[in-house]
Amino acid sequence: MLKSGFKSGASSAVMLHKTVPQVAQELHACIGCNECLLACPAVTGSITIDVLNRETLSGPVSIPVARFARACYQCAACVAPCPVGLHRDAMMMWLKVRMLRSGWGE
Amino acid sequence: MAGINQRERDNGETGYNWLSFAGGDSWYMRFVVIFLGVAVGLVFYIWYTQHSNDVSPDSIAGYSYAIIGTLFLLMAAILYSLKRRSHRKKIVGQLHKSLNWHICFGVLGLVFLFLHSFGNFNPRTGTYALYGMIALAVSGMIGRFLDRLVPRMITGEVHKALTVMGDDRIETISQKLQAIVVHNTQDLHSFAVVPDAKSRDASSSLVSLSGPVSSDFSFIHKDQALQTPWDLAYISLEATPQELSLEANHYRFVPDRKSELARPGALMPGAQEHISELQEVEQAMQRELFYRYVIRYWRKFHILLALLTLGLTIWHLVYAGQLLLPVLLHR
Repeated sequence: MLKSGFKSGASSAVMLHKTVPQVAQELHACIGCNECLLACPAVTGSITIDVLNRETLSGPVSIPVARFARACYQCAACVAPCPVGLHRDAMMMWLKVRMLRSGWGE
Repeated sequence: MAGINQRERDNGETGYNWLSFAGGDSWYMRFVVIFLGVAVGLVFYIWYTQHSNDVSPDSIAGYSYAIIGTLFLLMAAILYSLKRRSHRKKIVGQLHKSLNWHICFGVLGLVFLFLHSFGNFNPRTGTYALYGMIALAVSGMIGRFLDRLVPRMITGEVHKALTVMGDDRIETISQKLQAIVVHNTQDLHSFAVVPDAKSRDASSSLVSLSGPVSSDFSFIHKDQALQTPWDLAYISLEATPQELSLEANHYRFVPDRKSELARPGALMPGAQEHISELQEVEQAMQRELFYRYVIRYWRKFHILLALLTLGLTIWHLVYAGQLLLPVLLHR
């Protein structure tokens, strides 16, 4: 599912979304160093990487994480600082999809 | 009420509205600073225009506005860029605050430089620099709007491209499509060709007539298309194997043009629907890619406008310096 855009290279390519198994794999590989959150211009604070990782894949979403998910604008600023090369933006996208789907029944 | 609270605890925060916005304390503080800054600038502007005869960009008030506005714009440009590239110890959420200050200083800088013009919009260097700043501020505002709108649109497209369980929908549809094709192909193959007496006679007559041409015609019923020599049809008045094969069972299923079965995909029920679904998902992914490019390239456009505005401002400063320096030196 992961596809690149017109350009080649890790920093310049525009990545599409990832599937849940891929997101789960990335979450499992996360070392919790917090670098992605430090580089994020959308996060407003009062959030930790552990909580974010726990709520990304499934289960209830707390208010700070939900606000962060809505505020994230997929700029991919979190990708470059990750020491293990993970795509936090793809993880956030799945969280956004979950939020979108959860709101449809209301 | 208790039921709602229980539901919120169970399901957590839900929903993703268009242009959802959560201001927070830092944002409101910046809003107050912008409001106060603009108010102070405007009050002074009104007071000065009523009490002074020198109402021009190169008056004392004009220079004050120019210096303050330039300082604000420099702070907007430099502080955020430095903060982003800084390797010092950071705090989660610090960059968001810097971004809010960037917007705050950008708006204040634009307002003060607009007041610096004192209504003079002659086609000179200063006017071009002002137009550049207006374009820069507007592009920033549009960018912030896009930052709210486009990710929601991307989410809508990703929602279409993933299954309920979050798997790749293209893969799922492709597997279903493949299963349909395999199933129907097997069905078509299951109509075994049973040679009837007439065709057996025809092949035996062909054998007798052709003799040395072919000694074994057992393949006729297996591979019936054009395996016999072309000239045998003129020798025998009997129906050729090709003509006889039209009577075979599997050919009787071929409908005429008006039949429902003649429409594309009729012999593969469900295939057309899956192909359409596949195309929809592909289109959704193309739109997703496009939206992602919009987010990325709007930033580049904003930076490009900032560089252009910087160039125009330097041009204006050089122009103003050429006018001012001789006056100051001869005092």
